[in-house]
Amino acid sequence: MLDFHRLAGQFQDFSAYRRDEDRRHADRLAGALDALTACSTGWESLRDAVLAEAAERGRRHTPLRAIPHDAPDGCHACGPRPTPVTVVATDGSQIYPERHVEPTCYLLNVSRVAFHYGTEEPCVIEAVPQLRYRARDLEDLAGEGDDARFDVTVEVVSALRDELELVTLYETAAAERRSGRPVVALADGTLIRWMLRGMKNRALEERLVARYVEALECFRADGLPVASYVSLPANAEVVHLLRFWRGEDDQAPPEDTLRGLLDRHLFERALDEGERSAVFASGSRILDEYGAHHIVYFYVRAGREVGRVEMPQWVAEQPGWVDLLHAVVLDEVEKGGGYPMILSEAHERAVVRAREKDVFYRILERQMRSAGLPTTVASGKAASKRTPRI
Amino acid sequence: MDAPPVAEVIESSTRHVVAEVLKDQEAPPFGTWVEIETQEGVVLYALVSHAETGSVEPGRQAVALGRSRDEIRREMPHVFELIRTTFRAVVLGYWDGRSRTPEGAPRVHQTLPPRPAALHDFVRPCGPEAVARLGAPYDFLRSLATFPDPAVPADDLLAAVLRGLRRAHGDGDPGQRAVLDAGRALARLLHDDHERLQSILRRV
Repeated sequence: MLDFHRLAGQFQDFSAYRRDEDRRHADRLAGALDALTACSTGWESLRDAVLAEAAERGRRHTPLRAIPHDAPDGCHACGPRPTPVTVVATDGSQIYPERHVEPTCYLLNVSRVAFHYGTEEPCVIEAVPQLRYRARDLEDLAGEGDDARFDVTVEVVSALRDELELVTLYETAAAERRSGRPVVALADGTLIRWMLRGMKNRALEERLVARYVEALECFRADGLPVASYVSLPANAEVVHLLRFWRGEDDQAPPEDTLRGLLDRHLFERALDEGERSAVFASGSRILDEYGAHHIVYFYVRAGREVGRVEMPQWVAEQPGWVDLLHAVVLDEVEKGGGYPMILSEAHERAVVRAREKDVFYRILERQMRSAGLPTTVASGKAASKRTPRI
Repeated sequence: MDAPPVAEVIESSTRHVVAEVLKDQEAPPFGTWVEIETQEGVVLYALVSHAETGSVEPGRQAVALGRSRDEIRREMPHVFELIRTTFRAVVLGYWDGRSRTPEGAPRVHQTLPPRPAALHDFVRPCGPEAVARLGAPYDFLRSLATFPDPAVPADDLLAAVLRGLRRAHGDGDPGQRAVLDAGRALARLLHDDHERLQSILRRV
């Protein structure tokens, strides 16, 4: 039972704390907005200084800083979205390997959606499941020597799913593009595979990044603009750029440090409804392996939310493509009530619900039993967890 | 059984079926007969008593979009893919697939079938001959008047059935005669509640 009497004082403390935090946040925000405007005069030298710092990296730890491609305080209004335009998207989900099931198997369910806006052409909305279990599927991922063997962990399956999402996105864009009509391929989440760093298997990481970059190369070879949308981005790269400009010491941050502020807090104020920010390059270390596909991004304010749109550098360099992405993403977010409509649909198709997961295991078990194989699926713990006994 | 299927059974009991209308098909009108041929060759006859349109996914509710139908088709093309129409039909008779009258027509039993339709059986609208066979002695009217679907105004359904009967027998005298016959059977069922009978017949 909750004793609200005793809790009353704590509620008051919490609101007082919240008030202080809000004040600090407002101060940081004001400081950041001032810095954003001020640093834009002569921003090229700021860029060079950040690049120089990045080149020296390794000597001391520095936070990731945005590398501006143009004046950092730029606010760009949105032009009209072309009509007709084809937008394609994919999303994926998975059933991770279960320890009790031998041999290791897992499921990837990747959806594809294609909308031909401004036409009455039929849309594509579907998801294709893949049950994977063959050892040779993973053969070309294995390295040599100590790194040769690896377990099919949650991280590996997630990485393979991300890869399949991008490959499917490319295939869908290539199949659904119509001559003389602009096309945009939109992925969900970030294009920066920083999470691969957590695998602690260098050879595996390099192979996975290389395959991801190969898929990006397919888009470039076919001239297909590819981008991704990050909702509620938690990045602070632009804020760290401003901290660098202010000369903040990372080891001993000053009293009025901007640390704790996120890029989206800054752009919620700096951008007007519908506007996008300047284009910045990410300083993420893993991008050193991306070659010509270094990821750049802009922030866009749609409604009250600020989202982040990422793309390979060559997309941003193509005249008109940043404006095309801006217009398409804004239209998507407006139609989707705060989140790109096409990504919501892709998610709906891709998601594997708990009940479906149960059915998946039941069918797997039935198949094995009818083939006269011992059913390890139902062995002890896993089975009892899935069907509580009464 | 030659008409193309218009719907597919998604809920089934010996009393009623719920069917989902297939893509590019129209729901059979309220109060009309549909037939379902089961795998065993039994044909069930059911009367459409309720229809509704809604979201395919139970978790997704339709919301006002503030756009014209044309605009929705062009700018939110998936919306119409996520809508489905379902209808409920009261099962009132069946043909076992074998027994025939001396004239060779299927002998239809105006009573509940021994077994329900299977899920995913197809549903077709009944042709005029089939509707005409669902005639005298109108035992199905008793099932309909005595055990009405609680969610449906029974008299509106009865009026729609009589209208269908007239259509099936042809406009003019034969149709009028069939309605009279059925009306008489109905009068007995309603215990000579003339007010109610008149009100039903006015709606025919």
